[in-house]
Amino acid sequence: MEIYRIENVTFSFPEQTAPALRDVSLRIRSGEFVAVCGRSGCGKSTLLRHLKPALTPHGSREGSILYRGREVGEWDARTQASEIGYVLQSPDNQIVTDKVWHELAFGLESLGVDTPTIRLRVAEMASFFGIQSWFRRDVAELSGGQKQLLNLASIMAMHPSVLVLDEPTSQLDPIAAAEFLGTLSKINRELGTTVVLTEHRLEEVLPLSDRLIVLDAGSVIVDEAPREAGARLRKLDHPMFRSMPSPMRIHAGSGAGGPVPLTVKEGRQWLDSVAGRAIADSGTGEVKEPAGNPDGARRHAKERASGARPAAVELQDVWFKFAKNAPDTIKDLSLRVEEGEFLGLVGGNGTGKTTMLSLIGGLLKPYRGRILVAGQDPAKTSPDKLFRGLLGVLPQNPQSLFVKKTVELDLYEMLDGEKLSEAQKAERIAEVVRFAELEPLLRMHPYDLSGGEQQRAALAKVLLLEPAILLLDEPTKGLDGFFKEKLGELLRKFHEDGKTIVMVSHDIEFCAKHAKRCSMFFDGSVISSNETAAFFAGNSFYTTSANRMARHLDRAAVTEEDVIRLCRTER
Amino acid sequence: MRRDAFASYHPVVGFAYFVAVIAFSMLWMHPVLQAISLFGAVVYSQLLRSAKALRFNLLYMLPLLLFAALLNPAFNHAGATILFYLRSGNPVTLESLLYGAAAAVMFVTVLIWFSCYNAVMTSDKFIYLFGRLLPGLSLIFSMVLRFVPRYRNQIGRISLAQRSIGRDATQGSLVRKAQNGMRIVSIMTTWALENAIETADSMKARGYGLPRRTSFSLYRFDRRDRLALGWLAFFAAIVLTGAALGHNAIRFFPSIRMEPATPLSFIVYASYCALCLMPVGIQLVEDFKWKFIASRT
Amino acid sequence: MSNGTLKGGNGRDAVDRTGPRVSGQQRAASRRWSRRTLLSALLIVLVIPATILLGVFVLDDRKYYFVSLLIILYTLVPFALVFENRKPQARELIVIAVLAAIAVAGRAAFFMVPQFKPVVAIVIIAGVSFGAEAGFLVGATAGFVSNFFFGQGPWTPWQMFCFGIIGFVAGLLYRKGWLKRSRLSLCFFGGLMTLIIYGGIINIGSVMMFTPRFNWQALAAAYATGFWFDLVHAVATVVFLYVLSRPMIEKLDRIKTKYGLVER
Repeated sequence: MEIYRIENVTFSFPEQTAPALRDVSLRIRSGEFVAVCGRSGCGKSTLLRHLKPALTPHGSREGSILYRGREVGEWDARTQASEIGYVLQSPDNQIVTDKVWHELAFGLESLGVDTPTIRLRVAEMASFFGIQSWFRRDVAELSGGQKQLLNLASIMAMHPSVLVLDEPTSQLDPIAAAEFLGTLSKINRELGTTVVLTEHRLEEVLPLSDRLIVLDAGSVIVDEAPREAGARLRKLDHPMFRSMPSPMRIHAGSGAGGPVPLTVKEGRQWLDSVAGRAIADSGTGEVKEPAGNPDGARRHAKERASGARPAAVELQDVWFKFAKNAPDTIKDLSLRVEEGEFLGLVGGNGTGKTTMLSLIGGLLKPYRGRILVAGQDPAKTSPDKLFRGLLGVLPQNPQSLFVKKTVELDLYEMLDGEKLSEAQKAERIAEVVRFAELEPLLRMHPYDLSGGEQQRAALAKVLLLEPAILLLDEPTKGLDGFFKEKLGELLRKFHEDGKTIVMVSHDIEFCAKHAKRCSMFFDGSVISSNETAAFFAGNSFYTTSANRMARHLDRAAVTEEDVIRLCRTER
Repeated sequence: MRRDAFASYHPVVGFAYFVAVIAFSMLWMHPVLQAISLFGAVVYSQLLRSAKALRFNLLYMLPLLLFAALLNPAFNHAGATILFYLRSGNPVTLESLLYGAAAAVMFVTVLIWFSCYNAVMTSDKFIYLFGRLLPGLSLIFSMVLRFVPRYRNQIGRISLAQRSIGRDATQGSLVRKAQNGMRIVSIMTTWALENAIETADSMKARGYGLPRRTSFSLYRFDRRDRLALGWLAFFAAIVLTGAALGHNAIRFFPSIRMEPATPLSFIVYASYCALCLMPVGIQLVEDFKWKFIASRT
Repeated sequence: MSNGTLKGGNGRDAVDRTGPRVSGQQRAASRRWSRRTLLSALLIVLVIPATILLGVFVLDDRKYYFVSLLIILYTLVPFALVFENRKPQARELIVIAVLAAIAVAGRAAFFMVPQFKPVVAIVIIAGVSFGAEAGFLVGATAGFVSNFFFGQGPWTPWQMFCFGIIGFVAGLLYRKGWLKRSRLSLCFFGGLMTLIIYGGIINIGSVMMFTPRFNWQALAAAYATGFWFDLVHAVATVVFLYVLSRPMIEKLDRIKTKYGLVER
């Protein structure tokens, strides 16, 4: 049965000439799991919002959107509210009330359901989603993952027949995102609810999806099952192909035939069939060890300790806790970052990565041990000296830096205290604007920018203070593949100028691609550290999917290019 | 706060109870009734908040009581029994001194009852009570309670982010501190307003604005609550009867006069006592029952 | 549009129904006003005198406090009822809740400086940007909810009333054109209102609570002792208005136009 039939929909925002959606025609069958993707600004959110009239933006629309055979806006408001569930991006913004149980009941209250029925439905939902243990809590006490799960549960309590989700996991860490997508898949499989979602994490979503729809500049360019969709994108040589899962891209890059793999498991099997035979034939039958691992790490550390280059940031046996009786957040942490280095720190949530950045920034003080930034104790250096010309910090949420009503004013605001002439200021700003490619955005309000653009504007603000060392906290959070690429380029440019970068991130693929050295953070300390390739080669689980796919053949194959090369040489 | 038996009753019971005891404590200045109410309030606050309450009562309430008692004779010179004259020539009378003491006791009693109220009547109970009557406003209250901790958290984040671009609101001259502090408030406002739009979307997505909205709560009005409310009404009725018959009144000026105590007034006192000690009694009975059950198993 | 009152409905509605909606809105608005006026008249003519009589004849010594408390509570009733009756939209609730929460968070953020609070400033800005009713509701809500954090007490209704009425008056005077959006005008108004309305009424409230038998000397003493606190409070309001009014009003205007919060 068809649940949605979208026919020739063209939509334009008021006062804009280019339509946001162009002649979109789609069919969604009941019980399907449909992923929608495309670059930021391609119209995917606009499309999704058209599926729920209460959230449809205003503007002029042509064409029809039928929900169960009838124009969706013509269904009565009650049906629209209960049958079409909509989950938005931010876990925090969607929560309305202060208690978990009240939030769960919110939609049902709107529908005018009586108390005994709400009681039952809320109980069902809490059990299905595993919310019982935090059912009576204040929402303020929940983690981001729990909040998003609560939002989903609160929608599900209304028994929708279709769930529309707009980048629901973009603000979550990988573990929470995987849990959320797992729950979503469970809902789809066990309850038969139709799912339509947009997502950046295609690697995890595509294996769950029945269909992938790709939008480009408001038009549907691909609408097929994931494997075929990937093939089509490749044939079109479309930039979105870069966001496809690693196994698929490796398969395409290698030029070898065989079924298209979607997951790491399939990728491994495929790789075995293509390259494994060749290795077995060559008679070695052994896994290739990367050069000098794991002793490499030790040697590497030793070399560095006597390193020729001076340290930009140095932590020596640092201990930190938030309160006298609190457990230690940072335990015996020693780390040396040389000038001109690009260090990526990976590790799970709550291991103390962000705390470490605050320590380096002098915002927190260790109770034991020593921290030196360019030879000075950051906690004792005046902020004027520390943050002007020495240390730049890009916070996790770029919005906490924006003060003014246009990007340009915001950049000028940054130079308020500086003793510079107007011309000098303008010159410095022009330089940063060029660097961060902000020219077309200067007149806009910072909050009207997309996530990736906000990130760049914030980076530009920080760079105006001309730091020699840049600290980044989860810079890829919420960015799509395109903006990640762009950020990576900017960081490379900055690094090539001889500047130092310390980046904390969950994003293994990004670190593998851009950082020069990586460290694993765990339980308040750095437990391993090595050159990027050797680092990931030494890990077994906490590594790129390309590496997980190929590590049984060659541990040193970390990036997609490495694995593609492996395929080619083995053949 | 320890687990309190009375706090687990239905919010209607709790609210009715506090309205009754606080109103009664403010209405009557009869010394016996005042003593009963003060005693009830102190014992209950002790039960609810133990050490903290003791400190609160001794450190703040006692000096306040003395201060308030001494304040009245300075302004009020009515009364027949003159004790001495102030330097200004105004008399200090026994009546005005006692009146001041009574007023002070009343004030302190009310404050202590309110401290109990704050411990028992948590925000969700209040929101539930008014959810049916004022659905829009009670939803606003709930939203504010949701936003405030979030905003405080965000203020912390913004100030950290600002400090790491050299805009420190904790150091420097007062003007600079104030400037940076205001910048934080300003950033917070934009952030709050822009992000709230998504909250409105999420409300609309879940059908907010449809007619006939209901109000859900976890509370159930069961037999126990009916019983408690019944007793509450019963005691309150007796006390009010006493008031109607003039047993609760006291006249201070020009000379102190009370109705002479009769058997009926003792019934009133007993009822008032039962009313003021009701939560304590409920707790004791429950503790006793629990011990009994525990000893059997 | 700058002096539009807060009215729900998103931009889409505003575009879809243009002509007839305006007159309908105006009619609804005038009906709303008349209903509130009616209710207020009823309160003033019947309920308040009845309360006073009850106080005089029944309550004896405690009449001042109870009568004043009840009257304060009555003033909150028409606002609450009118607001509930017109079935507020999600975005209206959100704007009131956000502003009240900013005021409460601001009150909490400055907890270490007694009386130096931004609440009055934010309430005035709310009244100017979104109209008298929104001003009242933001003020009363901020007064009420902040006491969930600081402790409810006999002072709660008085604070609700004071904050609320300041927001209401700000909205009203702005609509009449007597209050301008300029810093000077807002600061002057804010300082005066804090000193006279807030200080004035809160002190009456505490005197009524403190000394049951009302007399003028006690009130004068209360004003004298409270003066410095009230002055600090007024200065705080002026400072906050001076710095925050322009950026905040700009931000609120942006939200109004961007998300179609305005009754056009």
